[in-house]
Amino acid sequence: MKNDEDTVKLAVKEALLGLGERAVLPEYDSALLLSARHKGSEQDGWTEFAENFSAVSGKPMQEVTDLVEFLKEGGFGKGYCDPELKQAVGEVLVEAGLQVSYEFDHQRVDDYVFGITKASGVIAESGTVILNDEDTVDRLAALAPWVHVAVLTDQKKVFANIPQAIENLGGSSNVIWVTGPSKTADIEGILIEGVHGPGVQICLRIGEGK
Amino acid sequence: MSQTKSRPAGRKVLLMATCLSDVFFADMAKATVEVLEAVGCEVIFPEAQTCCGQPAFNSGDFPAAEKIGRYTAEVFAGDLPVIVPSGSCAAMHFHGSQLLFEDKADTEEVESLAGRTWELFDFLVNGLGVKQWAGTLNKKIALHHSCHTRGSDTGAAMETLLSSIEGVELVEVGTPEQCCGFGGTFSVTFPHLSGEIGQVKLDSVLEQSPDLLVSADMSCLMHMGGLAEKQNKNIETRHAVQVLRDVGLKQR
Amino acid sequence: MSKSVQPIDVFARDLPRETRDAVLSSVMTRVAGRKAKLEEDYGDPDALRRLAGEVKQHTLEHLDEYLEQAEAALLKNGAKVHFASTAEDAREQVLAILNENGSKRVVKSKSMVTEEIHLNDYLEKNGVECVETDLGEFIIQIDEDTPSHIVQPIIHKNRRQVAESFEEHGLGEYNDDPQTITRRARKHLREKYLQSDAGMTGANFVSAESGRLVVVTNEGNARFGMAANGLHIALVGIEKVVPRDKDLGLFLNLLGRSATAQQLTVYTQFIKGPRSAEQPSGPEQMHVIFLDNGRSKVLASKERDILRCIRCGACLNVCPVYRQTSGHGYRAVYGGPVGAVLSPLLAGDDFPKYADLPKASSLCGACNEVCPVNIPIPELLLRLRSRANQEGIKSAGSPPMAPFAKLATSPKLWRTAMTASKAMNHLPITMMPVKPLQAWLKIRTLPKWSGGEFRRWMKERGRN
Repeated sequence: MKNDEDTVKLAVKEALLGLGERAVLPEYDSALLLSARHKGSEQDGWTEFAENFSAVSGKPMQEVTDLVEFLKEGGFGKGYCDPELKQAVGEVLVEAGLQVSYEFDHQRVDDYVFGITKASGVIAESGTVILNDEDTVDRLAALAPWVHVAVLTDQKKVFANIPQAIENLGGSSNVIWVTGPSKTADIEGILIEGVHGPGVQICLRIGEGK
Repeated sequence: MSQTKSRPAGRKVLLMATCLSDVFFADMAKATVEVLEAVGCEVIFPEAQTCCGQPAFNSGDFPAAEKIGRYTAEVFAGDLPVIVPSGSCAAMHFHGSQLLFEDKADTEEVESLAGRTWELFDFLVNGLGVKQWAGTLNKKIALHHSCHTRGSDTGAAMETLLSSIEGVELVEVGTPEQCCGFGGTFSVTFPHLSGEIGQVKLDSVLEQSPDLLVSADMSCLMHMGGLAEKQNKNIETRHAVQVLRDVGLKQR
Repeated sequence: MSKSVQPIDVFARDLPRETRDAVLSSVMTRVAGRKAKLEEDYGDPDALRRLAGEVKQHTLEHLDEYLEQAEAALLKNGAKVHFASTAEDAREQVLAILNENGSKRVVKSKSMVTEEIHLNDYLEKNGVECVETDLGEFIIQIDEDTPSHIVQPIIHKNRRQVAESFEEHGLGEYNDDPQTITRRARKHLREKYLQSDAGMTGANFVSAESGRLVVVTNEGNARFGMAANGLHIALVGIEKVVPRDKDLGLFLNLLGRSATAQQLTVYTQFIKGPRSAEQPSGPEQMHVIFLDNGRSKVLASKERDILRCIRCGACLNVCPVYRQTSGHGYRAVYGGPVGAVLSPLLAGDDFPKYADLPKASSLCGACNEVCPVNIPIPELLLRLRSRANQEGIKSAGSPPMAPFAKLATSPKLWRTAMTASKAMNHLPITMMPVKPLQAWLKIRTLPKWSGGEFRRWMKERGRN
């Protein structure tokens, strides 16, 4: 395969030769980027997250029973759950009469109406759920079902704002920030939720110290 | 389009009346002189003045624009403030000439002109500190912020003075970002686009049913007024300085 | 109808009213949304725009170093890195990677740079199915149309047109409810994802520090395209590099708000490399192709600032000309103010073909006012006008200015002209050949001539 590495790099070098003084990199404090709405330390991170997540049509929850109620009311009868969340979430759902599978079969992705996977964190300032590949048992399980439930178990992973979340991107080769359900406004600017990904995006916080 | 704040602001001033005043808008130029005098200025009108060179500059004919720019700098040489009753022509002096003369030698005179140029309302309010205009005018005024005053202090200055007139109601015009469509030679080279662009703006203005359409640039008013007249839509257009003159010149 | 000779003016004149109105109403909503969001969130959004512009300008002026850094970081992360000089090279490289892997079905998320190199047709011709997955781009693809907006590709279509096209392509009976259309696309494209053996994306940013590629979508299509197969190919313009991860925060905050009035786009992906041993899913291979395709020439020019562009589309939305033409009036992949600068530059030797575009502007500056990286677009348009002038490119309707310069530097001549009616033929607004002036007067009136009056008045005052 032809690789133009040297040609491109040389062209870029030559393009810059004629420049006199080159523009310097401005130093700045990331606090500049914070939205005026951001409450910072004035408010508990989860509360701020919940407000902002709701504002982008996300559904924050703090009790598995709330999830059960929501799924039952919506008629979302069967789905997938990360086996590591079996005890904390899956079994509660099963007990309530919902059908839960702990294996995600790629041959029948459309059979899962909900998918329950782990969240790697949340961002309070923007109402964002963080998923990284080490924690996400299967990308499709977090994307193909109509309802996605991201479960936050580590209370330390509530990041106050975007700059903090960027500082903590970590070593994962794939991190995705999810700020609400999948959506489009392509047709006449009309907002439609649930294009390719979930039409309902839930974040459930469980575990100690919440 | 930021300008240095250290421009001279004395009461002896040079007036650049603009080429449009020479051709069409004598009354606006007269009003400028009268208003400046009413606030205690001595107005000197260099007879040799012609044009700021913007038509050539905007056409991309930089050599022609440079010629005119140098000529104008010579005509307005010295250290007095240069007052221009047009946001557009003023911007040509302090913004356009930066680009035009960026690689040129002997730019002392054009730089001097750039550093002494004031758009009229910016000068009145921020240069001379005139914040009030005594008089009464019971009219609803739609203010058109001309594109070349974007980012400058002209718009706010105009609002300050007009709203200080008793009885004036300033109404906000929708689509504030929309251009009037004139753009000088643009309106001739792209007649359809220019007309439709102007129509969008004109519709926003008419929606407010103002008694007067006012701006710091005669060219925008000429375009919108010309469109309206052809459609038999009556809208009276006035340069902001004409409004000041008309409500009264006894300011001190 | 007015007589026009300029192609974009003719295009606007002949554009169906329905299309013009669809564009106009869509952009007005976007303009209002953007403004509200930025003002709600920031006391001084302009300070952020200026900062972002400075960071991007610095990056461009050190692109040689940052490209090396980004490449090294990506290689360290296990990605494969390629460079392509031309559109043709890039197309061949994509095909070669696909062929090496025996990939025949590609799902692609929206990317302007793949539009730029006309990738789909090429792959199709070489036996590879390449499906656009962004809803708008998918509609463009089945209609064999081209995008007319950077962010909202089908801004020129209404729901009825989309419904007709779905019916025609076997995607269900006529139904123009946007929700129904979206659900049908979901079902159809889901099959395509699951059958795919490669996913293609562009990139919004690449951090030189970590090699992280940032890809944002609202629909989740880029994520889906990288969830169901093992091969990810990203085609990235060399100007997409930013220095540090920290800077991603700056640009993401501005991109979402400027493009779609969102604090963040829904799905913001940070991709460092292929899937690691610890990761249960994701592509095993990641290829990044850095594309030049004329960019290094733009970098060498005085118009290099245009390479700061982060493709948010805000300048299109506020542009009075774009509002009358849609992107199609610009005859190239990039429309609107950014396109009027970029298209003639990227055209290389074909510059004269697009030299009219920089002239199609009243230089109103609305574009610069909203640009998240503060590109001085009017200044760049002027530079290109000057270049066209220097190269002697004849563009109908542009009056020669030498006679005017002569007039404007001879005070006596000027004064005579002012008072004499013959000046009608020499002054800037009226100095046009008679025909265009007639076109002008067809829809506008001119004020009464008052040449010389003010000067006389001034003189008389002096005497008193």
